[in-house]
Amino acid sequence: MNQTMKIIGLFVVLFIVAPLVIVVPMSLSTSPSLQFPPPGYWLGYYQQYFQDPSWLRPTWNSVVIAMANTVLTLLLVVPATFALVRHKFWGKGMANIMMMMPLAVPHIVMAIGYYNFFGQMGIVFTKTGVVLAHTCLSVPITFLVLSANLKGFDQTLERAARSLGATPMQTFRHVTLPILRPGLLVSALFAFIQSFDETVVAIFISGRDAETLPRKMFDSIRQEADPVIAVISSLLFLIVLAALLAPFATRGIKSLGRGVASPTNTRS
Amino acid sequence: MTSYLNIAGLKKVFGTFTALHDVNLDVQKGEFVTFLGPSGSGKTTTLMIIAGFEKATRGRLTIEDQSISDLAPQDRNIGIVFQNYALFPHKTALDNVYFPLQMRKVKRAEGHRKAQKMLELVGLKGFEHRHPKELSGGQQQRVALARALVFEPDLLLLDEPLGALDKNLRESMQIEIKRIQRTLGVTTIFVTHDQTEAMSMSDRIVVFSEGKIEQAGAPLEIYHKPRTRFVADFIGESNLISARITDVATRNTDSALMGPMTYGDSAVDGLQVGQDVTLVLRPEHMKLSRVPLAGCFNATMKIETIVNFGDSALVIGHRDGTVLRVRVPGADVIILKEGDDCYVNWKEDHVHLVAE
Repeated sequence: MNQTMKIIGLFVVLFIVAPLVIVVPMSLSTSPSLQFPPPGYWLGYYQQYFQDPSWLRPTWNSVVIAMANTVLTLLLVVPATFALVRHKFWGKGMANIMMMMPLAVPHIVMAIGYYNFFGQMGIVFTKTGVVLAHTCLSVPITFLVLSANLKGFDQTLERAARSLGATPMQTFRHVTLPILRPGLLVSALFAFIQSFDETVVAIFISGRDAETLPRKMFDSIRQEADPVIAVISSLLFLIVLAALLAPFATRGIKSLGRGVASPTNTRS
Repeated sequence: MTSYLNIAGLKKVFGTFTALHDVNLDVQKGEFVTFLGPSGSGKTTTLMIIAGFEKATRGRLTIEDQSISDLAPQDRNIGIVFQNYALFPHKTALDNVYFPLQMRKVKRAEGHRKAQKMLELVGLKGFEHRHPKELSGGQQQRVALARALVFEPDLLLLDEPLGALDKNLRESMQIEIKRIQRTLGVTTIFVTHDQTEAMSMSDRIVVFSEGKIEQAGAPLEIYHKPRTRFVADFIGESNLISARITDVATRNTDSALMGPMTYGDSAVDGLQVGQDVTLVLRPEHMKLSRVPLAGCFNATMKIETIVNFGDSALVIGHRDGTVLRVRVPGADVIILKEGDDCYVNWKEDHVHLVAE
């Protein structure tokens, strides 16, 4: 790699990391509004976040909606993925495109559609409405992750299980599901994050009762630029970081365990 | 003698393609039968029908006179070793072998004990708690074998299980599989396209070609008395010479390549004078000499290539534009040079006649 490439690379990294460098110190700031660099440091806004119901309620709403969204998405996408990956049927190409549509259509277009449609159904400004809308938006990414996993799955394993005496249900439970578990967890995580993070649709249809955290943050930054926003951003960043590092951590712990157990395992 | 496994009138059609025409076969209890044939010959399709993964278009399968045609794969009690082993990656060797017992509601302690014993039989003592990816190809193969045998199946099916192994390992696994099969006395069907594997392992070889059984018989019978030109060509090396019958009683023929030739035995009944036939001459049954040999048939040949194997050499030559192959002992090859003219000689006993 030559010098120019290195320098460009460095700038790209700085550009990506910069918001974090700004947001985390701001969350510890003593300033009454968002201000960088901070005039002083304290933990007051963290305390404020954890004590203020007007912040905690949207947080709880977001968690509930994201969880319901994850469950509903998986219930729909898992069978659909099996059908689309493993079977041939009339209209399969069309079905594939439909699954990916929410990714192509701008969120604002979807949001206006939901606003009108759910309004007529009487579920606009309810958690149910937000869950349904988010589920639709979560389908493509979940489907992409799962279908990639399923395509890589060796179906001979299922044949082997059948030949060894397992019914189709037992085969699914003992062979297919455990092997696909990592893929399922990743797609569930994606579904959760996409809902938790979603703002545009939430602004249109979550209303006061089902107000989600991103919506509350958006309102807050428009009205008062409350530094609590920086607190929440920092917390979310920490959670995501922990989630990303968790697999490495568990792998590390496992290999430690194996290292201790190996003398008994390799005896031959 | 009544047969153990009976395959009657098996036919399989995929859309417009007929994969199996009319396959009939009897397998005796404890027998080691090999399905041999090029890819697309129908051997694997037959195996998949026996396993229950494909449904036959027509035909009947019975084990000990009980029809298995309508049974689901899990109800057939047939052990299968797949080409890629198909070990469950999330289970240890022991739990892989325990799986069929688990499905048969065998208690964990007893099942593990049986699985352990089977792993010992296949020579994997001490590897029980390894996962498949921590095992070598040969070891995975043994686990797959143990898993297919632990539930005492009525039938063991092996689908080209040695294809992925290197040559030395493949040879030792051939011996190993044979030993285990004899120990347990399980009736076995082995699918391969490798004829040396078929020769060394089988009680009986079934040669498949284009969805039909071309010939079924003991390995040496298949080798020495092929019934068709396809079998003669597919099994071992051979010189195939087109000829026409001139006298049935004295077993005389006339061939464009060699002139008059007498054959030793024939796989075809009711030969007529003037009938077109193929004469089979194995390379190891021919000799090379500088002068014609008395008491033999002699023909001239120009040596083109000599392929040395050490213990023997394959001499490839030309006669009137037709390739002839002669296998000579390694020591004899020193006096031969590429480009030499020489005589090939053979005895009529070694000429075998098959249909055209």
